[in-house]
Amino acid sequence: MAKVELKKLFKTYNKKIKALEDINLTIEDGQFFVLLGPSGAGKTTTLRCIAGLEKIDSGDVLFNDENITHDQPASRDVSFVFQQYSLYPHYTVYENLAFPLRSPMRKLPEEEIKNKVEKIAEMLKITSKLKNKATELSGGEMQRVAIGRALVREPNIYLMDEPLSSLDAKLRETLRVELKNIQLNLNATILYVTHDQAEATTLADKIGVLKEGKIVQIGTPEEIYENPNSIYVSQRLGSPKINILPGSLFKLNNTAKIGLRPENIELGNGPYEGKVISTENLGSETVVAINFQDNEILASIQGSYKSSINEKINFDINTNKVLKFDKGDQRIYER
Amino acid sequence: MDTSRSYLEPSSFSKKMAAAIIIVYAVITLIPISWMVMTSFKNVDSAISYPPEVLFEPSLEGYVNLFTNRSRQSQEYLDSLPAPENWYEELVRSREMVITGPSKFLGRYSNSMIIGFGSTFASVFLGALAAYAFSRFRVPLKDDLLFFILSTRMFPPIAVAVPIFIMYRKLGLGDTHLGMIILYTVVNLSLAVWLLKGFMDEIPKEYEEAAMIDGYSRLQAFFKVVLPQAMTGIAATAIFCMIFSWNEYAFAVLLTQFNAQTAPPFIPTIIGEGGLDWPAIGAGTTLFLLPVMIFTIILRKHLLRGITFGAVRK
Repeated sequence: MAKVELKKLFKTYNKKIKALEDINLTIEDGQFFVLLGPSGAGKTTTLRCIAGLEKIDSGDVLFNDENITHDQPASRDVSFVFQQYSLYPHYTVYENLAFPLRSPMRKLPEEEIKNKVEKIAEMLKITSKLKNKATELSGGEMQRVAIGRALVREPNIYLMDEPLSSLDAKLRETLRVELKNIQLNLNATILYVTHDQAEATTLADKIGVLKEGKIVQIGTPEEIYENPNSIYVSQRLGSPKINILPGSLFKLNNTAKIGLRPENIELGNGPYEGKVISTENLGSETVVAINFQDNEILASIQGSYKSSINEKINFDINTNKVLKFDKGDQRIYER
Repeated sequence: MDTSRSYLEPSSFSKKMAAAIIIVYAVITLIPISWMVMTSFKNVDSAISYPPEVLFEPSLEGYVNLFTNRSRQSQEYLDSLPAPENWYEELVRSREMVITGPSKFLGRYSNSMIIGFGSTFASVFLGALAAYAFSRFRVPLKDDLLFFILSTRMFPPIAVAVPIFIMYRKLGLGDTHLGMIILYTVVNLSLAVWLLKGFMDEIPKEYEEAAMIDGYSRLQAFFKVVLPQAMTGIAATAIFCMIFSWNEYAFAVLLTQFNAQTAPPFIPTIIGEGGLDWPAIGAGTTLFLLPVMIFTIILRKHLLRGITFGAVRK
């Protein structure tokens, strides 16, 4: 495993479309780093630049302080899990898993390959499928094999491009937990791309938030959630979504907009009065939408909450937790 | 109403109709071929008898005549010879002839094999590489180049027979196997590139990318991952190329005489005594038909198999 650094990475497609702009980022050895952002933000492009599948315009890619910017993909020794399964359909599961170990770069003896493949198959619970053709698998099994093909060797870094996005919710959760366990066991360096905030918060040691080809903030999941540096970042995490409201609403001076997490609103009594628009019972919490001076505010409270539509409701906000933003949507920090 | 089947599935009546049409079509196209096969098993007299014989006593005379040269001898000379050693000598003697040696057919037939398979392999191999490059790389003037390649098929190849004849004479390629392989490869290549490009486009590039990350060079990834998945396209292309170069007549007449002559210009020259030896010609043509038929049957399962269904979700 290696420490991976990106320095001043620039990448344009067809000489016009800016894909990456000045990406600087360090992934420590053994770190689970998640790149978070909507589609088109440059997450996949970053992965592909590290893997060597895309030529970068300028900048450097360093593995353990060694510059590998101009190396071929094969010699970089990284492994990649693609968003699509991309198993080799003419091979069996065993052959798919053995494929990287049989490559000219490694050429391990067949016996060692057998051991490694069987070990990884057991870890991913696909031992019974080893003799199957890759096309004779369910979606979840295919993705396990794809992850297995990456994990079967110990590369400098594991690159994963939304590996769980094509699976159904239940399987996604199971594999998410498994993936984290595997990473902890192997002490693996992983760069993981997703737009799913649950994946980002549960898996990441560090999150990098991408916006239009630029990294706007890097931090632990807690930092990103509690201490975002802009409205854009604050909206990446949290469900139900953060409330972005005009600063004047709560008489806050020098503040263009404020961000208010739904759990920082107390219902029942308080100085503010609004009307209930709707309530949504999610079991462990209830999301109440309130109309307050023609602004819709979402509040979430523990357990169930009974109220009828258009009912008047009083609430208070936790002023310590209010995030203040300036006109450019950037965070105002208080001294 | 019959609700047991989906609306998209044809009814059993239309299925039967389709089958009937196909059978009628097959019978019509098979009549000349079966007549040819029948002729090859007739003897010289029954082959040209009128009215034509549908039921006849089969004979291998056509095949014997195809593979041998014979000369007519007087009865006294034939009587002076020792008894025939095998069945085909006996057959020839009964026609008051002796075998003077093997005919040229086997040599011409193997020329056809060498040139046919050689040019098919070359067309498919070069075509696959070119198609892959056109499909994956940013080639300058890609569309113009592709159109240029296609345009080589817009005139009948024989239209350039004279320049090719002169070129081949200067280059010493006339009447050589290599010359014919090159010529048929050139003619087939445009078809191969176009057909295979379509198949290459269908193969997601993630496969090679995955292979390249797994430690293979692009060329190794091409052979290990792309080619096996292009098998359907390769089989179809190989069949088309094989049929063309196997059947090609005009260039073969023009450019080959002895050394590299293929079977098509040779078969019509099989002349018997007092007219064409129809059973021998029938035998030659029947044998000529076999390789392409076998080749197609072998590759048929690749033609029918789906490409990469299900392994990549788009």
